[in-house]
Amino acid sequence: MSSNLILAIYLIPTLIGFFIVSPWGNLLTSSLKQRFPSLETTRGQLLGGLKLISLAGFAVSAQTLWISSKISEGGSFCSTNETFSCDDLLGNSELNVDPIFGLSWGLIGMAVNALLLFIVFVLQQERNHPLAERLINMGLLTTGVGILVIGLLVSYEIQEQRICLYCTTAHIANIAALVGFFRLKKVYDNNSEWNK
Amino acid sequence: MNLDMIEDENAGAVGSALIKVISLFFIGIMIIAFTANPISVGTSEGQRAPDVEGKFYNGSGWSEFNFGSYFNTSWEEGDINGQWVAIEFMDTDCPYCVKSAEEYGEYADYFSVNNPNWDGAHVNFMASATELSIQGHDSTRSEIEAFRDKSAGEDCAGSDCSSRPGPVHNFPYIDDLDQDNMAEWGIPGTPNYFLIQPDGIIAWSSSENTNEEISDAIFRLVPRAGA
Repeated sequence: MSSNLILAIYLIPTLIGFFIVSPWGNLLTSSLKQRFPSLETTRGQLLGGLKLISLAGFAVSAQTLWISSKISEGGSFCSTNETFSCDDLLGNSELNVDPIFGLSWGLIGMAVNALLLFIVFVLQQERNHPLAERLINMGLLTTGVGILVIGLLVSYEIQEQRICLYCTTAHIANIAALVGFFRLKKVYDNNSEWNK
Repeated sequence: MNLDMIEDENAGAVGSALIKVISLFFIGIMIIAFTANPISVGTSEGQRAPDVEGKFYNGSGWSEFNFGSYFNTSWEEGDINGQWVAIEFMDTDCPYCVKSAEEYGEYADYFSVNNPNWDGAHVNFMASATELSIQGHDSTRSEIEAFRDKSAGEDCAGSDCSSRPGPVHNFPYIDDLDQDNMAEWGIPGTPNYFLIQPDGIIAWSSSENTNEEISDAIFRLVPRAGA
């Protein structure tokens, strides 16, 4: 399977999730409400979108970790084009790990998206869970810090003059999740909207 | 004894979410573990060689060295067309490096596709020249040039560089006067030799094979047409 096709498997659900959590999400979910009753409320819509985004973010992060591992074995995965070459970034042993603990960015992405999924699962089961507000804030903070990490990783791309589309998909997932949690926080603050 | 049960009616949601997420995480890790076999970067045999950075001198001037350009990650074991790399970490003021310069230069000429007597894969020789933090080991780029070219006017380990044994070297010398490459490679002392496969994996190091010369390692490890 070509690397572009694999990329589409992650990118499409990420973009759909992004659209669902955006203020225009109703346009997409209105036709799905009968099939998925949870989408009838704004809360359900945001949690559904966030679940899609976090799952896609988790999967693409796992894929980047796998690509890094394969490149270290001597293989190549997506070095077809001069600019769009994820191999040069994911295979760079200095840039593919965080500068403090030396953990793979892919592994960090998996852990962060697993945390976001955990938050979504808890809120879907118990919307008035005692930790609900704290969990939403945690999601907001995590994805907010993610923006700084994206800044660092984009600086690596500029420095190396390469673009890693798998990494970009993971970045889009983080931005989409930030938007989703921001809107979720607003809904939570409006008690009547949250308990619909 | 009367035990009062404390129940947390919200614990179910957290527990159930936690089980789902942990399961997902471990499934992901297991898939990666079973389908990939990552090789770490390091200087032990079997590890991927770290980068060598800096300017290099090839007889005509100093330019940016690209260590990665010597490797082809798709090389397969036994392929005679792949080019191997032999790298020496040395100091132009280290007496043993001066002494071994003759042999190292001869090896560079011998294990080459240009030598009709050598039927094995081509071995690219190179040297990373540092300045050890020892009194009397002050070095400069001019000294590295003089060491390589055997030119007069610079002092190499107490003698004029033109008098060092062996012929002029035709391989590149990388400027590591700031000891960055030494630190990256964890070199304990000079000279120190490594033989690297065409795919960038370290095949042999002098520190792990103290009883074997690099030439013997090349004969033993590098594939040959007649073998």
